[in-house]
Amino acid sequence: MSDIKITINGKECIGQSGETILKIAQDNGIFIPTLCHDDSVAHYGACGVCLVEGEGLPKLMRSCSTVAADGWVVSSETPRVLQARKVALELLMSDHDGDCKGPCSLTCPAGTDCMAYVKAISKGDYHEAVRIIKEKFPLPASIGHVCPHPCEDECRRQYVEQPISIAYLKRFAGMKDLEKDTWKPEVLADTGKKVAVIGGGPAGLTAAYFLKIKGHDVTIYDAMPQMGGMLRYGIPQYRLPKSVVDAEVEEIRALGVNMLNNVKVGKDITFEEIRKTHDATIIAIGAWTSSKVGCAGEDTEGVVGGIDFLRGIILGNPMDIGENVAIVGGGNTAMDACRSSVRLGAKKVYVIYRRTRNEMPADDEEISEAIEEGVEFKFLTNPAEIISENGHVKEVKLQVMELGEPDASGRRSPVPVEGKFEYIKVDTVIAAIGQKVNPDGFDVELNKKGIICADETTFRTNLEDVFAVGDATNKGAGIAIAAIGEANKAADVVDSYLNGEIIPYKKPFVSIRRDLEKVKAELSLREKAPRAVVPKRPAEERKNDFNDIVINLSEEDVMKEASRCLECGCHDYEDCKLIKCANCQEICPERLAGQYHPGFVEEKLVVIERNQNKCILCNLCVRVCDEVAGKGILGLVGRGFTTIIKPEFNDPAMIAGCKDCLKCAEACPTGSLKILTK
Amino acid sequence: MRVIVGQGSCGIAAGAGKVYNALEKLMNDQDSFKLGITGCIGMCFLEPIVDIYEGEDLKARLVHVSENDADAIVNAVRNNDIASLSGLFIKDEDKSFLDQQTRIALRNCGIIDPTDINSYKARDGYKALEKVLKMTPEEVIEEVKTSGIGGRGGAGFPTWFKWNAARSSKGEEKYLICNADEGDPGAFMDRAVIESDPHNLIEGMLIGAYAIGAKEAIVYVRAEYPLAIIRLDNAIKQAKEAGLIGENILGSGFSCNIRYMAGAGAFVCGEETALIESLEGKRGMPRLKPPFPAVAGYKMKPSNINNVETFANIAWIINNGGEAFAAMGTEGSKGTKVFAVTGKVVRGGLVEIPMGQTLRHVIFDIAGGIRDGKQIKAVQMGGPSGGCIPERLLDTVIDYKALSATGAIMGSGGMVVMDENTCMVGMAKFFLDFTSKESCGKCVHCRIGTRRMLEILTNIVEGKGKEGDIELLEELCLSIKDGALCGLGQTAPNPVLTTIKYFRDEYEAHIKEHKCPSKECRDLLSYVINPDKCKGCTLCARKCPVQAISGETKQPHTIDQSKCIRCGQCIQGCKFDAISIE
Repeated sequence: MSDIKITINGKECIGQSGETILKIAQDNGIFIPTLCHDDSVAHYGACGVCLVEGEGLPKLMRSCSTVAADGWVVSSETPRVLQARKVALELLMSDHDGDCKGPCSLTCPAGTDCMAYVKAISKGDYHEAVRIIKEKFPLPASIGHVCPHPCEDECRRQYVEQPISIAYLKRFAGMKDLEKDTWKPEVLADTGKKVAVIGGGPAGLTAAYFLKIKGHDVTIYDAMPQMGGMLRYGIPQYRLPKSVVDAEVEEIRALGVNMLNNVKVGKDITFEEIRKTHDATIIAIGAWTSSKVGCAGEDTEGVVGGIDFLRGIILGNPMDIGENVAIVGGGNTAMDACRSSVRLGAKKVYVIYRRTRNEMPADDEEISEAIEEGVEFKFLTNPAEIISENGHVKEVKLQVMELGEPDASGRRSPVPVEGKFEYIKVDTVIAAIGQKVNPDGFDVELNKKGIICADETTFRTNLEDVFAVGDATNKGAGIAIAAIGEANKAADVVDSYLNGEIIPYKKPFVSIRRDLEKVKAELSLREKAPRAVVPKRPAEERKNDFNDIVINLSEEDVMKEASRCLECGCHDYEDCKLIKCANCQEICPERLAGQYHPGFVEEKLVVIERNQNKCILCNLCVRVCDEVAGKGILGLVGRGFTTIIKPEFNDPAMIAGCKDCLKCAEACPTGSLKILTK
Repeated sequence: MRVIVGQGSCGIAAGAGKVYNALEKLMNDQDSFKLGITGCIGMCFLEPIVDIYEGEDLKARLVHVSENDADAIVNAVRNNDIASLSGLFIKDEDKSFLDQQTRIALRNCGIIDPTDINSYKARDGYKALEKVLKMTPEEVIEEVKTSGIGGRGGAGFPTWFKWNAARSSKGEEKYLICNADEGDPGAFMDRAVIESDPHNLIEGMLIGAYAIGAKEAIVYVRAEYPLAIIRLDNAIKQAKEAGLIGENILGSGFSCNIRYMAGAGAFVCGEETALIESLEGKRGMPRLKPPFPAVAGYKMKPSNINNVETFANIAWIINNGGEAFAAMGTEGSKGTKVFAVTGKVVRGGLVEIPMGQTLRHVIFDIAGGIRDGKQIKAVQMGGPSGGCIPERLLDTVIDYKALSATGAIMGSGGMVVMDENTCMVGMAKFFLDFTSKESCGKCVHCRIGTRRMLEILTNIVEGKGKEGDIELLEELCLSIKDGALCGLGQTAPNPVLTTIKYFRDEYEAHIKEHKCPSKECRDLLSYVINPDKCKGCTLCARKCPVQAISGETKQPHTIDQSKCIRCGQCIQGCKFDAISIE
C-alpha cells in the first residue's frame, strides 16, 4: 500500500492505493451519498446514488466500488452526476410504497408527530408525549382542548372504523404533564440577541418559546391584560378553562421569556421603538376585528361581533343580550357564541346560516352539542335586514335561501329564493362571520385585504428585521394550530437571520403512499376497535355554567384509545438513509409515478417484520446475512421490476436460525425491515 | 450421389425432419445414393432445402421441399434425372442471396455434416489447431492482432487485446469462455454456427485457450437452443475421442478440456460478468468492472470471454493468415460480419459479408428489398441494445464507428427491417418491454428506469401520452445510460433514443393528435365504413364479435367506435373494400 493523492469535490485527499473513491472521501470528511454500500460487506453497486464524475474519464463511476488512481480529479456534484443521482432517487421514490409520516402528522399544520406522541400515550408516558409535542409547540394542553384536529380527519383508522381521538389524547397528556414535573426544554446559552414578539397568542407564544430555547432574549408585547390571545379571549371557558392557559403560559415565562401585558403598539409604544431596541421583531397580532353582518341595520345597537362578545365574557363584563339572541355564521366562533349565549341565560338562541348543516365549517360535534343545549338552527337563511325599535335591535328579516351550483370551494352556493322571507324577534344579533386584521400602528406592507404581507418561506415582511405570522398575515384568520405552525417555522428562520444568514423554510420531501385504495383494502382486514367516546356533562346540566363540559376518560381508556393507532408512519424515519438522500437535492418523483413493484408485509423472519413495499433492493440484508452473519437465509427472487427478497426456499428451519442476529434489519437503509422485539 | 437435407432449427421448423424421414423411408438397400444432413445454409426463406451432390459438386438445390416431394426426389436420383425436379430448383435470384456473400465464420454451414467430425476435417478442420500448437502463444496472439478482428458479440473490442490481457494476468489457473447466450430477439447467427459447424467453434476455442494459457474452456449456451446443445455435446465427444480435447493435445504437451453449460434463459447472462456469475452457480447479475474478467473472472481467476462468431473466425485466420482477414473490411472494422436479416424483407436469413458494404446493399441487393412492394422505413441494428437507422441513412457502411455514429450499434448481428407499416413508437415499446423484463433487477436505473420508460411508451401508444413525455423519455434515457450498472441497462435506452431522434414526428402524432401514422397502434385506430361502397350485405355486422356494427339490410352500415375493439374482423370479411382504417 502506498499513498495516493486524489481530488474530490475540489479538496485534495490522501488515500491508500487500492482504496475506493468512497472510502477516501469518507476518510477525508467528504460526504458522498450511498444507499447500498456498507463497509461490512463487499461492494455491490446497485443504487447508483454514489456516482462521481472524473475529469477526462468518459463514464460516471460508482464511488463505492471504483478503486481510485493517483492524481484523479473527481466530483460528486457535477451537473451530470446530480442529474443521474436525481433520476435514481426519483425512480426509487416512485417505487417506494411507504409513508414516511402518518397522514395525521402531514396534515397537522404544525407538523406535530402525532404517531409518536400517541404511541407514548399508549404506554402511559405522558411526559414523553409532551416532549414530542413540544418539539413543535409549547401549548399541548390548551391546543388539546380547542384544536379542530385536521389530523383526525385524515387518520387512516377511519378506514378500519373511526379515527383515533388524537386531540383528546393530546389534551389528556398535556393536562397530566402539567400536574407535576412538567417537561421542560433545555435553553441554550444567551446569544446576546434580542427579539420582540408582538402578540401573546398561540403564534406569539410559540415563536417566543422556540427563540428563547435557542438562547435569544425574547420579550412579548401584548395589548391585553393577560397572555394567551384568542386562546384566552376568543374561546369560552367551558371549552378551555383559563387555568390551563395560565399554566402553560407560566411554563413559557419560566424559561425566561419576558412578557409585557397591556402594551398596545402604536399607543403605549411605537413600532419603531420596538424595532430599534431589538435585533428582530415578529408580529403575531392576530385578527381581532369582527366582520360586520353585511345588511341594512348592521350598526344598530344590540348588534355585536362574535369575538367581542366572547371577550366581554372572559373579561368579566358580559353584555346584556336579553332573552332572544341570533348568531349569524356557521363556524366555531358562531358555536362558541351561541353556546355562551345559552349559558348567559338567553331563552331563545338562533343560529342563522345561509347553507345547510352539511356545509357548516364548525365541528360537527359542536353543532350537535349546541342543538342538545337548545340552540335553534335557521339553515338556509340569511339576514336581509336588522330591524330596530327605539334604536335597538328588535327583529331580523331573513332571506330564505336554497342551494345552487357548487362554488370554488366545492360547496354549493346559497341562492336567495326570491320574495321569500322570515322574521325572528331578537334582542341581540352576534355577527360571527369572520375576523379582520387591525394593522394600525404597524408600518409594514399590507395586501389588498389590509392583511400584513409575509413571505411564505421566510415569514419576512417588507422590512428586513420584521417577520409576521399567524392570523395577521396573508390569508388572514385561520385555526390556532396553523398560526402555531408558522410561528414554529418562523422561529427557525429568525434564528438563522440572527445568526447572520437567513435560511428559508423548506418543506421536507417525504414519501407518501399514492394508492389509497390499496391502503384501504389492507386496512379493511384489520380487527375493529371502536373509538373511545369522550363523555360530556349532560346538556341540561352544562348549559347552566361555563365549567368544562368534558368528563375525562380513565387512564386505562386513554391508553387503550392510543393503542388503536395504526402507526402509518415509518418507524425508521429518523434514521432512513433513503429519505435523507431524497432531501439532499430537489427531486420530483411524481413525474415518474407508475406502478409499484409487487410488495407485501410478512413476519416470516421470526422477530423481523419485512415490508417489501418499502424495499429498494439494495440487497444489504441478503449480503449481510451471507457475508457477515454467515447464514445466507435471504435471496433474490424474480427478475427485473418484480424482483423481491425472500427467505431462500422458505425453509422454516433455516429461517428459525436467524432469531437472534438482527444484522439485516440493522443494515437496512430504509424502513423495510423492522425489529419487532429485541 | 448424396441427398443432403438441411437440418438446422429453422429447417426442422419448416418441416425438414419430415422430409428426411420420408426420404429415408423410400430408400432401400439397392440405392447407391446416400442420404445425409447438413446444418443451416442461412436461407430461412427457402426452407426446407434439399441439396443433391455428385461428389463435391452441388448438382441441384431444391427449395420449399415437402414430404410429398420425397417420391419424386428419390426417383429422380435413382434414375439420374435431376432435371425432372426442376420445379423445386432454387430460382436464380434467390441464388444470388448466397452468391453475394463472403463466408468465413459460416464457411461450412449448410455444407458439412455437423454431426461428423470427419466432414469438418475434410474441409481443413483442425489444421489450424495443428499449426497453432507449433507456434508460441504470443505468435498466435500476434496473428490474431494482424487480422484486426474485433469481438463479434457487438462491441468489437480487439480480440487480441483481451487474449493478451488474459495471457498477461498472473496465475496458473485461467479460463476461456465462449458466450453462446445469444439473446437478442431476431438474432440466430451463433445458433447456426453451433448447429451447423460445432467443430469450428471448438477449434477456435482451443486456439484461444492455447493463446491465453487456459486449461479449461466452457461454452455458456442458452438452454433454448436444444439442437445446438446436442450437436455441441456430440462434437465435444468426437473431438475428445480424436485427441483434440483433453490431455496433451496432438502430442503438443498442451492440455485443455472443453465443457458446456446451459444457461437458463436470462438475457442479462449474455453480459460477460453476469455470465460468469451464472457459470459459478449464482444468480445472473452483473458485477462491477473493474476488475475485468481478464484479471478476475470465473472463480475470480483470469478469464477470457469471446462470442461464438469470434471463435468461428479464428481457425480461418490461422489457416489463411491474419493479413487475408484484414484485407477485407474497412480501416477500423476488419473481416466479415454475419447478420441475421429478418423483418419485412423478401429474403430473410443469414448474411455474411465483408465489413464496409452498405446497409442498402444488404437489404436490397442480398435480401431482395421489402416484401409486398412496400417502402422501407428503418432497420433495427443490434437488437434491444441497438438502435434504428432510418431509410435515408441506409448508405451507412457496415463499420463499428460508422454505425455507432447513427445512434445504433453493430451489435451481434440482428438486423430487423421495418416497412412503412411499422410504428416506431410501438417498436421502441417492444424493445423496452423486452429489456425491462430482462433486467436483472440489481441497479435502480435499469430496474425501475426501464419500467418507467415502458409505462410512458405504453401510455403513448394507447393514446394516453402527455405533452412533455418525449422530453421526459429523453431525460430518462440519458440518465439511465449514465447510471446503469451494466451494458444491458446502459444500452436499453438506445431504441428509444434513436426512434425519437429519427421519428420524433411519430411520437408527436401519437401524443398530440392521438394518431398512429403507421396505423399499427390499435387504441389509436378507427375502423370506418365508406357509405358509398357499402352494399349493406350485413357480413361485417355478423362477423363483429362485439356487435359494434349496425345497419339495415342493403343500407350502408356504421361502426360504433365506443364498442369497436379494432380486431379487424370486419375489414377481412368485407367483399366490397368498404371498410378502411383511419
